[in-house]
Amino acid sequence: MKSLGKLRMAAAVITIIYILIPLIVVIPASFTSANYPSFPAEGFSFQWYTELLNRPEFVEAMVNSVKFALLAAFFSVVFGTLGALAIAKYDIPGKAYLTSLLTSPLSVPQLVLGIALLIYFTPMMLAGTSTGFLLAHIVICIPYVIRLVLTGLSGFDYNLERAAAILGANPVVVFWKVTLPLIRPAIISGGLFAFLTSFDNVTVSLFMVSPDMRTLPIEIFSQMQDAYNPIVASVSSLVIFISVILIIILEKLQGVGKVFGGSHS
Amino acid sequence: MEPVRHYADQEINQEPNTGANLQKTPKNKKRRSWGPGLLLLLPILLFIFGFFIVPMLYILYLSFITTDEIGGTTAAYSLKNYAQFFTDSYYLSSLWLTVKISLYTVILSLLLAYPVALTMAKSSPRVRGYIALLIASPLLVSIVVRNFGWYLLLLPNGTINQTLMSLGIINAPLKLLFSELGVVIGLSNAYLPFMILAIATSLYNIDPSLEKASAILGASPLRSFFSITLPLSLPGIVSGCVLVFSLSMSAYVTPALMGGANVPMMPVVAYDQINNLLRWTFGSAISYVLLATTLITVIVFTRTFERGKFKEVFR
Repeated sequence: MKSLGKLRMAAAVITIIYILIPLIVVIPASFTSANYPSFPAEGFSFQWYTELLNRPEFVEAMVNSVKFALLAAFFSVVFGTLGALAIAKYDIPGKAYLTSLLTSPLSVPQLVLGIALLIYFTPMMLAGTSTGFLLAHIVICIPYVIRLVLTGLSGFDYNLERAAAILGANPVVVFWKVTLPLIRPAIISGGLFAFLTSFDNVTVSLFMVSPDMRTLPIEIFSQMQDAYNPIVASVSSLVIFISVILIIILEKLQGVGKVFGGSHS
Repeated sequence: MEPVRHYADQEINQEPNTGANLQKTPKNKKRRSWGPGLLLLLPILLFIFGFFIVPMLYILYLSFITTDEIGGTTAAYSLKNYAQFFTDSYYLSSLWLTVKISLYTVILSLLLAYPVALTMAKSSPRVRGYIALLIASPLLVSIVVRNFGWYLLLLPNGTINQTLMSLGIINAPLKLLFSELGVVIGLSNAYLPFMILAIATSLYNIDPSLEKASAILGASPLRSFFSITLPLSLPGIVSGCVLVFSLSMSAYVTPALMGGANVPMMPVVAYDQINNLLRWTFGSAISYVLLATTLITVIVFTRTFERGKFKEVFR
């Protein structure tokens, strides 16, 4: 019995290391002083971080990534929160179908979605534009916001809204002073999740970017396809750093495991 | 004023005492709720229709259109795109390769995931939370970054080959990068967390007294595992396998970076047709072949289990 338990624990530890190891090796590799990437790194230097600042395409891609992730998060949170409120609060027939419809972009492969949007956007003159890119990213972010806000509303006590209304507050005041503060953690989690979804995306973005407008993951992707350069390691470390900060906030608010566990059971 | 009346009405409706009220409830609720609810839903519904449903239907329509040589579309509906796919051995072998690699990924993920899920089920909620954080966080870091990590590890003179050689297991470096094995490693690493969480969820639902009962009746821990825990976790196993399989079938980035031209999986072929060759109608058909193959495999797999030896578990 005891030895079986130990065996199980050992296997579990190996799997967890297997999951984490590709991220763990990237950071030390970024401090290499050689001009090819390797793990363990050869020597130690910050040269690939200073090099990063001398490469305008990376700086520009970074700015684009953050800008579009913020915009995609903002719009998907606005649309998603309104939609989730409507589903949770009102007796709309076919609620279950409605929820699956609004989360359906998740069940279509991102590759197929990217192909569909590229073909659809081209005659509309939206292909390769920042508007097209943003629209595509809002589509992939909406399902997560819907899910997180619906979860946040599941324990919501509508008597509080009713009480405010009886005391004379108009619907806007009720929403602003009662509903919103109570579901704020769910909305913030939804926003953070949307930000990360957009910030990390490669597959849909590949069909939406143009030579003048690229994001950080796209820049990493093409660097990896053309030539392997230690600069990929320093950019990747930067991406990990940003992601970890947001993951910590998300964990405090919602629990990262719950977000994924609840979404696929 | 409208909302106040609305709330007051709901209050009356919640009184379950009189039969008249009960009968009135659904009618009243429907009439009152539709207006504002629909207004809130309108933006997101329009958005999803306009930028998701319509584009998806549009490429389905395009897949039945035949393109002539110069790329102009003639409005002739035909199954030519699909016929071309299923008569060309290049595309068929790509489809088979995709299914094969996805199956390997599912099997490897299942084997690696189960011990973690079991450990989570036997731990306190606090420890469960920590494990969930460790395994789910990588999902929030871009896949290109995780692929770059694997690149460093799988290089001919990388960590894995060095370790295996110094242990004397192999004499010459294995070709891990740009091979099917590399793609399976990359994919399983990316989708393992989903498998773990799916299995863990079904393990949480098992009544712990069942295992105690079987121990009291004299079953060894191994016997208890195989006749109680494993069958009862089948719904989690099946949903985890379905999820990992579907994700692997349509993954583009990992096959492109870890396999390259050596592993032409369907998504890589579809990307090439669309972005490089600009064959949109054929690319659309490939997309729907990919979707249909995934869906059919998933349905057959799920049905087999739901009607198999342990069908009661799925109720």
